[in-house]
Amino acid sequence: MSDVSMDKVNKVYENGFHAVKDMSLDIADGEFMVLVGPSGCGKTTALRMVAGLEDITSGILRIGGKEVNDETPKERDIAMVFQNYALYPHMTVAQNIGFALKLRKLPKNELDAKVKEAAGILGLTDWLDRKPGQLSGGQRQRVAMGRAIVRQPSVFLMDEPLSNLDAKLRVQMRAEVARIQRQIGVSTIYVTHDQVEAMTMGDRVTVMRDGTLQQVDTPQNLYDSPDNIFVAAFIGSPAQNLYDATVGEGARSIKLGSQDVELPESVVLKRPGLRAYAGKEVVVGMRPEHLRAESSTSTGPKIVGEVDLVESLGSELVVHFTIDAHRVIAEGAVDKDEAAALQSGEGVARVEAKTPVKPGDRVTFSVDIEDMQFFDPKTGLAVRG
Amino acid sequence: MTTTSSDTEQVPVAAPLVGRPDVNRKRMARLGWGFTTPSLIVIGLVTIFPIVYSVVLSFSAATVTGNGVALNGFTGSNYSLVLSSSKWHYALGFTIIYTLVTVLVELVFGTLIALVLERLTAGRGLMMALLLIPWSMITVINAELWGYIYQGTYGVADAILNAVGLGHPNILGQSTPAIIGLMIADIWKTTPFVAILVLAGLVMLPGDIYEAAEVDGSSGWSTFWRITVPLLRPTLALAVMFRVLQAFGLFDLPYVLTNGGPGTATTSLAILGYNVIFKNLSFGPGAAVATTSALLVLLGCLLSLRTFRVQVGKED
Repeated sequence: MSDVSMDKVNKVYENGFHAVKDMSLDIADGEFMVLVGPSGCGKTTALRMVAGLEDITSGILRIGGKEVNDETPKERDIAMVFQNYALYPHMTVAQNIGFALKLRKLPKNELDAKVKEAAGILGLTDWLDRKPGQLSGGQRQRVAMGRAIVRQPSVFLMDEPLSNLDAKLRVQMRAEVARIQRQIGVSTIYVTHDQVEAMTMGDRVTVMRDGTLQQVDTPQNLYDSPDNIFVAAFIGSPAQNLYDATVGEGARSIKLGSQDVELPESVVLKRPGLRAYAGKEVVVGMRPEHLRAESSTSTGPKIVGEVDLVESLGSELVVHFTIDAHRVIAEGAVDKDEAAALQSGEGVARVEAKTPVKPGDRVTFSVDIEDMQFFDPKTGLAVRG
Repeated sequence: MTTTSSDTEQVPVAAPLVGRPDVNRKRMARLGWGFTTPSLIVIGLVTIFPIVYSVVLSFSAATVTGNGVALNGFTGSNYSLVLSSSKWHYALGFTIIYTLVTVLVELVFGTLIALVLERLTAGRGLMMALLLIPWSMITVINAELWGYIYQGTYGVADAILNAVGLGHPNILGQSTPAIIGLMIADIWKTTPFVAILVLAGLVMLPGDIYEAAEVDGSSGWSTFWRITVPLLRPTLALAVMFRVLQAFGLFDLPYVLTNGGPGTATTSLAILGYNVIFKNLSFGPGAAVATTSALLVLLGCLLSLRTFRVQVGKED
């Protein structure tokens, strides 16, 4: 068990592609750190550099306080779970799990005991004599986990280990992987492009984009106070509603398209930086659950939108609506299809299941203005202090 | 793969369900026979008939007459003659040793070349093309070529051996050097084929398995023996099967290069059979040599196939 520290680590490929830029990150002993970002953001490259499967162009990588830049994966004492599991097809489950120990020339009885223990933790005891080809996706995934945990390594590295499972199994294994990590207490770096996995599994989450680290924080903090527009748009599902807006004189209101939304004093007091934006443009972010379809009698800030589509999830309704404000799209944070829909100024609200809304309605949403997020349109950074 | 096989399964089943099933099925069957009969006749005439005739011949006291060959009734004496003949014993021993040595050497060299080619980042295509020149060469040409190389007065091999102080050994004039010379010519020609086959197997191996092995602490030699070789087993078995079949039927190379000599040193089973039939005109014993050889090859083929299947089965 060890901490991992990356100090201004860079990766530049031979063809000049700069995959990871000045990445500095500290992962505490026993911590579950998730690296998340859209594909091509450098998260897998970062992981592979920690593993020793990819050379570090510049910067220092330390595991347990010791610089390991030039050490082989074996010397670094890491274990890795691969996206496609990378099980040895000609070996049984027991041989797969025990391979690393066998290479370390562990006595047979000790090896068997450790393999059995790992298999027990993962519920693989009945499958030890099977070959990977005879196992289901979920079982293969568990064997890959078993191969990692049996070694009791300093660090676990996981490269999108759940992406090949079907949705239901993924949810189940998500909880299981997190449980096993907690049980064993080994520092873990977990790469995923799925922000739900990131939110649910990580002690902390690192958001990356184009090789650059965007924000490192607990899942809740990432959600509540993203540092920039990219993180605000990437974290959360359905995605946050981000619109161009103008702050009114004296920062008493916000003009969102043709609508004026009242800005209570308390909001500005919490974000004094907002005063400087009086009369200027700003990007506002509203989480879908911070818009409530309420009776017109309620007071407080409101926006009116025209409903395009209502999706019922049983427990709640996801209401897609349009307002005449310009939607802000953080490149890479949403996929292309979604971006096309957003261009028309579409927003999303999550409202109570029984709310009587239907496409074509003009609905008044009351806004939880205290939770509204503000960003500078030029720098993309959050407006706070 | 799955879609294709299910498609082909569904077509004949689905068709009769429409309209009049029985009529359709009969018509389809007639059409099928119509298409296949001509080729079946050709195969029957050029393949099945000679095989059957050769087996019949091997059990006959055949004699040559003015009108061809007379079978003269059933006899087992051809086989007792062949199986007790010292020439047959020698030819069998020679063919087996020749097969074992050439296949083993070709497998080792072929695998090594394939490993090098796989690591080659640039020029792999060119190297493969160059390598395939010996393989694409007709065996008779290959034999003539090596005949020049081994030639006693102006051959390159002879000159080299002389230069290193071994005199003029007359390679093809002595038993052991002739056998070795024959093997070298075969290995030179066929190793590239094995290399290409193994390379095809190598490039299909998933890269992440090697990374997993690296993380697990395996490297170089250990990875080769514990990961590469077991994963390549089906490919290697296939290569062995191909080569055993070919090497066991060894004929054209010694026929051109040594004509089975010196003496009978390079007389393979196929050459022996040829000589008995076409030189001695002993059709019965010659057919017996051919039939026993065919049975042995079949046995070798089944054994290889069995190994191959077991390996594939184990992986699933």
